[in-house]
Amino acid sequence: MIFEIEIKTKKGFVDPQGKHTSSDIASIGIKDISSVEYIAVYRLDGNINRKDAEFIGKELLSDKITEDFAVKEYEDLKKKKIEKNSIEVWFKHGVTDTVSESVVKAIKDLGIKEDVIVKTGKKYRLTGKNIDENKLRKIATGLLANTLIQEYLIK
Amino acid sequence: MKKAKVIIIRTAGTNCDYELKTAFELCGANVDRVHINELISNKNKILSYDVLAVPGGFSYGDDIASGKILSNEIKNKLGDNVKKFALSGKPIIGICNGFQVLVKMGLLPKPKDFEQISTLSYNDSNKFECRWVYLKTEKINGNTSCLWTRNLPDVISLPVAHGEGKFVADKKILNEIEKNNQVVFRYCDKSGNKTEYPQDPNGSLNAIAGICNDKGNVFGLMPHPERYVYALQHPAREGFDGFYGWGKQIFQNAIDYLED
Repeated sequence: MIFEIEIKTKKGFVDPQGKHTSSDIASIGIKDISSVEYIAVYRLDGNINRKDAEFIGKELLSDKITEDFAVKEYEDLKKKKIEKNSIEVWFKHGVTDTVSESVVKAIKDLGIKEDVIVKTGKKYRLTGKNIDENKLRKIATGLLANTLIQEYLIK
Repeated sequence: MKKAKVIIIRTAGTNCDYELKTAFELCGANVDRVHINELISNKNKILSYDVLAVPGGFSYGDDIASGKILSNEIKNKLGDNVKKFALSGKPIIGICNGFQVLVKMGLLPKPKDFEQISTLSYNDSNKFECRWVYLKTEKINGNTSCLWTRNLPDVISLPVAHGEGKFVADKKILNEIEKNNQVVFRYCDKSGNKTEYPQDPNGSLNAIAGICNDKGNVFGLMPHPERYVYALQHPAREGFDGFYGWGKQIFQNAIDYLED
């Protein structure tokens, strides 16, 4: 089973990465984006169950004070639907993902013995007017993804 | 007299361990820098020391969040003995990344509960902030509640260097920390008054720069006292006894406490 654990800032706390990204989008000349929510995504692939994934999300990947986590479950990633008005950025296959290596170690430290393959990604949820595929692609390639080593997903 | 034994925990990404060792040695301690793996393979080793120090740096590359992976590792692999160490009243200090580790494993502000109830989040500027800042030493009738901050002037300056130093806790916890006099240092201006960015580098609630537990033996702070043990390290060469920096006094306090 594949789990994606999404980590986002709790309501009432500042989301500095989202805020920063929002002003960066304006600085590359794209108007009408009023806010951006930043979400860190961890994809876990291994012989673990939902309870394990929730435990990892709560104890390791999120900050209990300032962040919320949500667990999504996939039997087949091909069936995954990309959220409207969002951009996901992931490392391309074969590119070293150093954070994932740390997460694998930390999952073992939590006492989970099963081998888990981890990939890390970033998701940006955009709010604003006239958001279309062209605009999302421009933001993804101009700002959020280094297309030599990263791929981006938009709807 | 037997010298105090200090243990500095190091791991991948720790980078302030040598300065910290020098600071403690200057105060007359015997200091060992010990890798976390060595402590995990010999779990009781930690209890043979008098002082525990978690230094600054970027443990595990600050992956997930600053201090998160090391705090998770210490808590799950050495938690019982670290809690025992704290509750025994022996001095513990966490500096910068070390402070993040203590807070995220729940050793601060309440080691007895050993649950994370506060955090150090991204600076309001969303940038790495690196400069000298002024700190107000919190005192009640001239005394501090923390054994580490005795004999300090009302305002000292220390350097900060961090991207995630904003102290955050919910209102109830924050009130409790204030009521129990657990706030040790606050960012301030040169005269000890409330200040704002950039002298307050991160937007911490109540301008908190350092806290201790209710017994005053477990201490964590974002600024780096180990980078100011000699007056020469200060931009204006300020210090005491014409030679030392105020950071030294912090380490001296722990050693003197053990000798007392």
